[in-house]
Amino acid sequence: MTSLDYTIDPPITTRAVTPAEIDSAIAAPLDRFPSKRWWIAFGVTSTMLAGGLATIAYMLYEGIGLLGFNQPVAWAFDITNFVFWVGIGHAGTLISAILFLMRQRWRNAIARFAEAMTIFAVLCAAIFVTVAHLGRPWLAGYLFPYPNQHALWVNFISPLVWDVFAVNTYLTVSLVFWYLGLIPDLATLRDRTTNAVKKLVYSVLSLGWRFSNRHWSHYERMYLILAGFATPLVLSVHTIVSFDFAVSVNPGWHTTIFPPYFVAGAVFSGFAMVQNVLIIVRKMFKLEHIITMKHLENMNKVMLLTGSMVGYAYAMEMFVAWYSGSQFERFVFLNRALGPYAWAYWTMVSCNVVFVQLFWFKRLRLSIPIMFAVGVLVNVGMWFERYVIIVTTLSRDFLPSSWGHFSPTIFDFGIMMLGFGLFFTLVLLFVRFLPSIAMAEIKAVMDGAQAKH
Amino acid sequence: MSASMKLPEAVRAELPANVTYAGWAAFWVGVVLVALGYLIDPTRASFENVIGYLLVVSIAVGAIFLLALEYIAGAVWSVPMRRVTEFVAGLTPLVPLAAIPALFHLHDLFHWTHTEAVASDPLLIAKEPYLNLPFFTGRFVAFSALWILFYWLFTRHSLKQDTTRDQKYTTYNVRLAAAFLPVFGVTLTFNAIDWGMSLEPHWFSTIYGVYFFSGTVLAAVATVTYIVVRLHEAGMLPNIKRDQLYSLGAMLFAFVNFWAYIAFSQFLLIWYANLPEETFWFLHRWQNGWEYVSILLIILHFAVPYLVLLPQEAKMNPRRLKFMAIWILVAHIVDLYWLVMPTYSKTPVLDWSTFGWPLLVAGLVVSMLSYKMKRHSLVPVGDPKLERGVQFRI
Amino acid sequence: MSTSSPLYAITALFDSPDAVLHAAEETAKAGYTKFDVHTPYPVHGMDHAMRLKTSRIGIFAFVFGSLGVLSAVALITWVALHEYPLVIGGKPFWAWPAFVPVSFELTVLLASVLSTVTMIVFYFKFPNNAHPLHDTPYMKAVSSDKFGIAIQANDPKFDEKSVREFLKSVHGSAIEPVAYDVEDLDHGQQLLDARFLAVLAVVMFVVASGTYFTLNYAMYLPPFDFMMEQNKLKAQKPSELFRDGKGMRPPVEGTIARGFIPYAFHGKADEAGKMLVNPLLATAPVIDRGKAKYLTFCSPCHGNFGAGDSRLRGQFPNPPTLNSDKVRNWSDGSIFHVITDGQNVMPSYASQISRDDRWAIVHYIRVLQRAQNAKEADLR
Repeated sequence: MTSLDYTIDPPITTRAVTPAEIDSAIAAPLDRFPSKRWWIAFGVTSTMLAGGLATIAYMLYEGIGLLGFNQPVAWAFDITNFVFWVGIGHAGTLISAILFLMRQRWRNAIARFAEAMTIFAVLCAAIFVTVAHLGRPWLAGYLFPYPNQHALWVNFISPLVWDVFAVNTYLTVSLVFWYLGLIPDLATLRDRTTNAVKKLVYSVLSLGWRFSNRHWSHYERMYLILAGFATPLVLSVHTIVSFDFAVSVNPGWHTTIFPPYFVAGAVFSGFAMVQNVLIIVRKMFKLEHIITMKHLENMNKVMLLTGSMVGYAYAMEMFVAWYSGSQFERFVFLNRALGPYAWAYWTMVSCNVVFVQLFWFKRLRLSIPIMFAVGVLVNVGMWFERYVIIVTTLSRDFLPSSWGHFSPTIFDFGIMMLGFGLFFTLVLLFVRFLPSIAMAEIKAVMDGAQAKH
Repeated sequence: MSASMKLPEAVRAELPANVTYAGWAAFWVGVVLVALGYLIDPTRASFENVIGYLLVVSIAVGAIFLLALEYIAGAVWSVPMRRVTEFVAGLTPLVPLAAIPALFHLHDLFHWTHTEAVASDPLLIAKEPYLNLPFFTGRFVAFSALWILFYWLFTRHSLKQDTTRDQKYTTYNVRLAAAFLPVFGVTLTFNAIDWGMSLEPHWFSTIYGVYFFSGTVLAAVATVTYIVVRLHEAGMLPNIKRDQLYSLGAMLFAFVNFWAYIAFSQFLLIWYANLPEETFWFLHRWQNGWEYVSILLIILHFAVPYLVLLPQEAKMNPRRLKFMAIWILVAHIVDLYWLVMPTYSKTPVLDWSTFGWPLLVAGLVVSMLSYKMKRHSLVPVGDPKLERGVQFRI
Repeated sequence: MSTSSPLYAITALFDSPDAVLHAAEETAKAGYTKFDVHTPYPVHGMDHAMRLKTSRIGIFAFVFGSLGVLSAVALITWVALHEYPLVIGGKPFWAWPAFVPVSFELTVLLASVLSTVTMIVFYFKFPNNAHPLHDTPYMKAVSSDKFGIAIQANDPKFDEKSVREFLKSVHGSAIEPVAYDVEDLDHGQQLLDARFLAVLAVVMFVVASGTYFTLNYAMYLPPFDFMMEQNKLKAQKPSELFRDGKGMRPPVEGTIARGFIPYAFHGKADEAGKMLVNPLLATAPVIDRGKAKYLTFCSPCHGNFGAGDSRLRGQFPNPPTLNSDKVRNWSDGSIFHVITDGQNVMPSYASQISRDDRWAIVHYIRVLQRAQNAKEADLR
């Protein structure tokens, strides 16, 4: 048995570091010319991004008929990708707000990164729904309630309008939260840098922060309040996304567990993505002593927890579909497991529920190759979860005469690539230009950082 | 850790005699009311028994859940008050007893036990593999046994640590907590389906288990909060500061919101889709006077606690916490009443008989506390996290 | 640093949070009020040591949040009940459960964004990069790992020597004066600065021409012109789809328009006079209708009173009067037939005036005739 000492607070870093070392460890990559590996990675992701943009441009020119969706499967890849990316975006706020409220000190090392990923993921989601799915992005203004010469107003009863509000609010509040956290670090960078251009940029961005305690006093309270707002907000966003499906009458979509189930799934996939990216970043920038195995282990534990919640939701859906006695409910779940999309369903179950159970074992929880593989599989599984929900239900409606089948075209995959290209390009730019770890927050929780009363 | 810090000592305090007597009195008055209820109107009494049973389940099993949560999350703030949670969880062995009277009246309670009604109802025939008496009883026994087993293991390790001060018991309990959480999820859900949802066997809602879970945690936290604040005020929990109380207040606040979130989600989805196989359940609760109970529930269970507990100051104010803890427990009982009673009666019923089980359970909690406090220290002195818990600051 | 520029503060650095906490307590105890502590991260207990009041920023969040929920509910209610009421999914107009999500989101949005902006702009007075502490060695130290106290020169108790000594007594190191930057002090009027005006002009030009180009040109480029490029058949336009080259299709032979009743007496004036009977009763609404139609279609030639005094002033041959005995003795059917079929130079009015209106006109002509030939009995 590993002997944990419960009498002491778990250390934040694996070895003692001074605040100055923290600054240089985190700010150093920003001053160096990017490494070859960074350029290779950037080349790959920006090529994906360019390919995706070209696909989307072609689709806008030709029309959405290029994509594989049809009647009755009118929601397919785009909505799957939208829900997938919104879900990825949930880990950031969970780490930065909910774990902050729970006073989990280990969150400080990864909060900044996770928040940035939230913003990038929500941007991806917004692109999928407004550009790819709607097909005429320049008409997106109709989604907002504003006085116009058509005397038209949005339908506030529609969950699609709720989505507009939820995703935009989430993006805005996440940006505010993220930026508020960045201000002190930008000020530190401003005072470190010797490059006049960087100095100007950091001065403007840091708004003139002076580390004054008269400011910290309000700042800390504001941070707590924002965390308090972000917590219900993050729940509400995926809840509202789940409402898109669950307010309908379609079997497989209309089930009351959808809100918490979607939130758990979102956190699950978001953590998997953050874990994957952090594994690479800590290696790339030699931050192993700040983003420690403890962080990765804790994230794996959260994945185990949320993965099991998702498993619980799958089981409850199945059980209640049977228990309801309704032939439509029963059929839709049998069809998922045994019908034409059974391969997708079993991919989803194995990736989301089965593989993650490896994390019950400490040895596997601490093995980087295994956790990386499980993280990737979780995201595959969570993508397929949305695919299964959307496509199985739409392709097998109440009326067998209106059944259909969906198969994606190459353009569907091209647009899907856009999401990954955009996301990883933004992540790479982020680690190059902004401090990817909250320096001020890390310094505040290190040993000896606070006065002994 | 500064050396000048005095190590927390064991506290062996007894409840004042009048409190103990009041507890016993409440218990016996409750027993008499319940017995009278069964003599006068067994059907109604058995429905009230279901409320009482679910109340005990939520307080006792919810307390085990809080223990598991502390271990699995590595929380330190709750360590100085963990004994209170353990004492509250001490009700677990009595949980099955609370259901025994109802077990003799299952025919009055559950429509699906009427074989002739089931035979002519295709929906109930479809559910028969789950809703049948042997399986129902089997589940009841299995769930009760599992709860008692976990309660026994958790507290045994914790008490052993008092004398041995061995850290390995904490590790045991962390593993136990990991094993308990899935068990808890499954047992609590199906217990709620058995005793709550199947009262109206045609109705179904996948979120029902989560809904019951939110109320369960709230009831357990409220009970622990009330006791901790009272003992703290009486000077029996000297290690508790505003910081620990704040954590309790924050838990109450969080779960008040969580309950509202789950309840609203369930309502919105059923209201919006407007499917007759689901809406009738809410219609029963929106007719013949039940609408007032529904509105009261929103106010009691969400609006007031939300507004009162919103300011940071309120979450660490002992007087307000104490008041809100009782308030939330009452709201939880109203919630259970709202879940169970519309099946029994078309209109809300309220008289002396309604108060039998709440009184009985309240008396039981006090008596259990008094019994346990005589035997065990109020401070888990052997717990390695205790000192960190005492020094916990927000 | 120029010695002539005014002093802002005296600063001192400390190595540990304990030292600065102690020093801050002492500073407050010594009666200084205009001083500040600068730390690379928030040090717990510092607010208490500096005798700061608890931040009241939460009140703003509450106020803005309430504003958010109220404005959301007000907007939705106005749209749903007054401006744009729609029945959707059989729900009532004011379907409150469906309004909860949007109201919640707006509450969070306004509360978070506005209270953060309030803090940054009104509490911190940011952005401000002209503060004297910027670009000092002191700022560079506290932004990394040192802790500092700055006692400001505008403190009523300030005295350079005693402050230096006080800071030394609390074990502060690197005790340095910080002076105002003269450039920063001398702001002057900047609104009419030529550079500012030039930037303003460029911005205006770019925005205006961009808007003009977008609205007048860009929106007519593909794919934005998707509404114009529609491959549909248009009436009166040629089409290659059909053999006759016309876009508009003729109706199938024998098609009868909705409500069409064939007229059986074309060219048979006598028969029409005998067989047709006015189907309408001479009620006030019918006569009013007839008058309106008469004045529209008949009066240009027949005159307002049927006297044959054309309003066209001889541009067209005047018809005979309708008040003649001949016409007065005609049956209703005969007058109807003339309107329907035409007579001499008068064309058919069947396509302009509906069947019922023609009968109403007949009634009105009878009124005119009777008015021109009134009898004693009519006056009584």
